[in-house]
Amino acid sequence: MNRYSRRHVLRLSGLGAAGVLLAACGKQAGVEESKNVKSVGVLPETDGLASVEVTDIVLLRTAASLEYNAIDTYDAALSLGVFAGAFAAVGDIAKRLRDDHRGHADAINGLVTKLGGQPFTCSNPRLNEIYISPALALITDTDTEDPGLDVLVLAHALENLAAQTYQSFVTLLSDKALREAAMTIGQDEARHATVLARALQPGLQFILPSINADTGKPNIAAVPGAFGPLTPILVTVGPVNADGTRSSLTLETPSLNSLAYDSVLCA
Amino acid sequence: MTLPAAITPTNKADRALLAFANSAEFAARDLYAVAASVSAFSKEEQVVLIGFHDHHRAAAQALAGMAGSAATNERSDAVFNAFRGRIMGNDKNAIYDTLRELENTLASTHLSLVGTLEGTGAAALVASILNVQARQAATLALLAGRTFAEALTNGAAALTIGTGT
Repeated sequence: MNRYSRRHVLRLSGLGAAGVLLAACGKQAGVEESKNVKSVGVLPETDGLASVEVTDIVLLRTAASLEYNAIDTYDAALSLGVFAGAFAAVGDIAKRLRDDHRGHADAINGLVTKLGGQPFTCSNPRLNEIYISPALALITDTDTEDPGLDVLVLAHALENLAAQTYQSFVTLLSDKALREAAMTIGQDEARHATVLARALQPGLQFILPSINADTGKPNIAAVPGAFGPLTPILVTVGPVNADGTRSSLTLETPSLNSLAYDSVLCA
Repeated sequence: MTLPAAITPTNKADRALLAFANSAEFAARDLYAVAASVSAFSKEEQVVLIGFHDHHRAAAQALAGMAGSAATNERSDAVFNAFRGRIMGNDKNAIYDTLRELENTLASTHLSLVGTLEGTGAAALVASILNVQARQAATLALLAGRTFAEALTNGAAALTIGTGT
């Protein structure tokens, strides 16, 4: 008579299979332990991301970097010699605004030093890469119809970006005095944008939001609403493309990937 | 990565300051209503003045939302009377200059509030109002025929909180 029932045989074979499976997943003798996640192939070693902290110093260094973006852009615009004809008077405005930005950069870096940080004395590399350089490349394209106008449009957008950046930093800065210092400069940038809006659109049209009757698109407005916006800024510059449109860039206030952290250095 | 602290709420002292700003903004609204009724201004110019009037009303209402029950929702007569006497006649540039002084005064006041308020949400609201009023001040300077350098300057002192002067 058989000592094992059918049920018994099945139970034993199940246990055996589970044992084989567990043994296959476990460490094997003579095999060197790998740091890699279990996978097919070999993954490269990684250093991991540096641990960063968004401090008052980082925010102020970022603000200073933005000031240098503006200084460099005005310098580039002035060297292009585009402020002639209808925009002859804008050259003086550009020089004054550039000098204001130099003063802002010094003031902000003074605060950075006071807090024990390292001043940031060059333009923001990330914003240069994604906004300024592409915009200037479009503006200096030989097919660009009116580089003077386009430079003015870019400068206006940068002033709005700076005003928005300082405004957005109010909720991030931990020190009340720094918030006030930031907005002292922020309101200056808002005034800069207003003066440039007037240069772009004389008469009363430059003030409140309106629609261009020819294009159906919004005109530039010196005072776009009752509250300072924090919305993306659309900049359309450069030559007319084959499809009849022009290139647009969308400028946004610095985010976590464009802050001037302590580890970000000027070249 | 360590991020800054979340938005902090207002305290009692904040709400008193916001209530003061609320009454100053309603005074500005009423001053623009007076200016817009001056016959010397064209319809297009009145549209601009009414636009600025609406901005001050919106600012006052937003400040009331932050101030809660502390907000009076009434204009500050001290602020209104300090400027009212100069908004009359046919000299449009003089009126623009008066309104510019009003805007610059409010901008300085809001700037001082940004440096005083404990609540970061309230400070952010005041900062957003400040940026608009700086733009309005610069616009009025240009409308009054001032130089661009004057449009960039704010020489006005902040209002003394409580008295409105």
